[in-house]
Amino acid sequence: MTDAANTDRWIRWLNTVQLVIAGVLIMAPTVWMVLSSFKPSFEVTAYPPTLIFSPTLDNYVELTRTTPFLSYALNSLIVTVGSTALGLLFGIPAAFAVSWTRISWPAILTLAARMAPGTLFLLPWYVMFRQVGMIGSYTALILSHAVITLPIVIWVLLPSFDGIPRSVFEAAQVDGCSVTRILWRIALPLVASGVAVSAILAFVFSWNYFLFALVLSNGDTKTLIAAAFNFIGEGSTQWGALMAAATLIALPPLVLAALVQRWLVSGLTLGAVKG
Amino acid sequence: MASISIRNLTKRYGNFTVIPDLNLEIADHEFVVFVGPSGCGKSTLLRIIAGLEPISSGDLYIGDKRVNGVQAAQRDIAMVFQDYALYPHMRVYDNMSFALELRGTPKAEIEARVKRAAALLHIEPYLDRKPKELSGGQRQRVAMGRAIVRNPKAFLFDEPLSNLDAKLRGQVRAEIKALSQQLKTTMVFVTHDQIEAMTMADRIVVLQNGTIQQYDTPETVYERPANQFVAGFIGSPAMNFFPVEWRQERAVLSQGRTVVPLDGETAGHLSKAGNAVLGIRPEHFAVAADAADGIAIDVKLVEPLGSDTLIHFDLAGGSAIARVDPALRPKVGDRITLRPQPGKTHLFDAANGQVLR
Repeated sequence: MTDAANTDRWIRWLNTVQLVIAGVLIMAPTVWMVLSSFKPSFEVTAYPPTLIFSPTLDNYVELTRTTPFLSYALNSLIVTVGSTALGLLFGIPAAFAVSWTRISWPAILTLAARMAPGTLFLLPWYVMFRQVGMIGSYTALILSHAVITLPIVIWVLLPSFDGIPRSVFEAAQVDGCSVTRILWRIALPLVASGVAVSAILAFVFSWNYFLFALVLSNGDTKTLIAAAFNFIGEGSTQWGALMAAATLIALPPLVLAALVQRWLVSGLTLGAVKG
Repeated sequence: MASISIRNLTKRYGNFTVIPDLNLEIADHEFVVFVGPSGCGKSTLLRIIAGLEPISSGDLYIGDKRVNGVQAAQRDIAMVFQDYALYPHMRVYDNMSFALELRGTPKAEIEARVKRAAALLHIEPYLDRKPKELSGGQRQRVAMGRAIVRNPKAFLFDEPLSNLDAKLRGQVRAEIKALSQQLKTTMVFVTHDQIEAMTMADRIVVLQNGTIQQYDTPETVYERPANQFVAGFIGSPAMNFFPVEWRQERAVLSQGRTVVPLDGETAGHLSKAGNAVLGIRPEHFAVAADAADGIAIDVKLVEPLGSDTLIHFDLAGGSAIARVDPALRPKVGDRITLRPQPGKTHLFDAANGQVLR
């Protein structure tokens, strides 16, 4: 066997090992969580963990019986859909404007906002929303979650807009289009998959975001993820119900990602190469 | 349909001046070609007319209206782009009807105009296709169709043939020329290809460094170039240039002692100037039978083109080309005597390149 063939074999083997390690690290907690949600409550924390057990839906029944789970789910949906819509409403024109004018600082500013820890916003928001009596309102939650969704929309769409040849926009100008019309009639249809991807990512990130809802919501507007946190330590922790809740919370983003997996990859790489 | 008038136009990018101070009048119905090397400002000038680039100073009129601050969308200009710039998500029909739809043209009229333009450009079978389903030539036609359905004040073409292969380029060139004669609309065409400029234009604007070197008919630009730049740019192969001096009542190449037989008028100009640059087009050499009648050269390279044969030779420290009859069947190393055709030579000022007449 030649040296080159040997090297290739080693690289393939190392790749496989890396994939297995990464897969175990990512999948093990998920599998454990899902399996635990179907275990009888006394087996959830058993040590060593049991792999063979009689599956039961008791934890799910317990969850819906003892908590307003559906109400929390509805809150999550309202906040997530609202903040995603808000992110798209402002993010699409913002990304187009940055691409059109080639002035990039607004996009960098939003990215910096996304990178900053949530606590940076939390205190000022809490004070401001309290002063206007909005603590615990959907509006406050949707507005705060827009900090998550807006940068995602802008940064996913920016390369997509940049990928459209400038001459296409110029042709539209010469044809009689205003800038706004160019956005709606020409640019937006051309970045439709990018819009879908940015919407999905914004949805997932907003759905999973925990901190703002923990502080800015109240009993009526609490989102699933904030509610799940409260399951811990309310008297004795109901681990089985908590696992069931975590499984249900993780379900929408996972299903969404699985459904649009191919689209997601193509949408994220859109604009990297001009057609 | 409208005239275009550019008065004292300047275009700057920061401290860099692309077009210093340009004046140009394009008559209504005229087909004008901007030609020049890369970076000469021809595309910038076209984009300024279209409204895609702002003017730094000066005035631009389309018809009687000053359009300096008028948006591209309001100028009623149609433009064909180098990369065609078709709307990828729209069918050919929608690409062509889009501008009319924006102007609120009734549907029936839109349909009639699109179909008429499609018939003119032979693209009727493709009206339901998307641009990605078309060949380069078909896309080019759609881009033209998108322009002509509108009946605009002027058509602007920004190197629209540069992405086509040589055969298709010749075909589309002829089609655009025929179209201009049918439509009778003001047309401005940008190219770096002097053959396109010569074959299509009513008048050619030869540009260098943002300044007009010559603005005249193709025949005049070819036969009576205003300066050495124009003489060298228009014509293929390019004009040969030789520094010459007037010595002992004769024109002599500055390097060496070769005497160049010149006609009386050219010799007169040289005698006044003392020295100059002599320009002779490759096709304006005649082969002389007698060595005493011309310039003896040694053939260095032969390029048979079928209709003509190009011979390369060294003269006065540089290389030169002559276009000769293929029947001559020259071979590398042959000694041939060439004589400039009377009345076909050009003299340029050695200092500033301006023609001496």
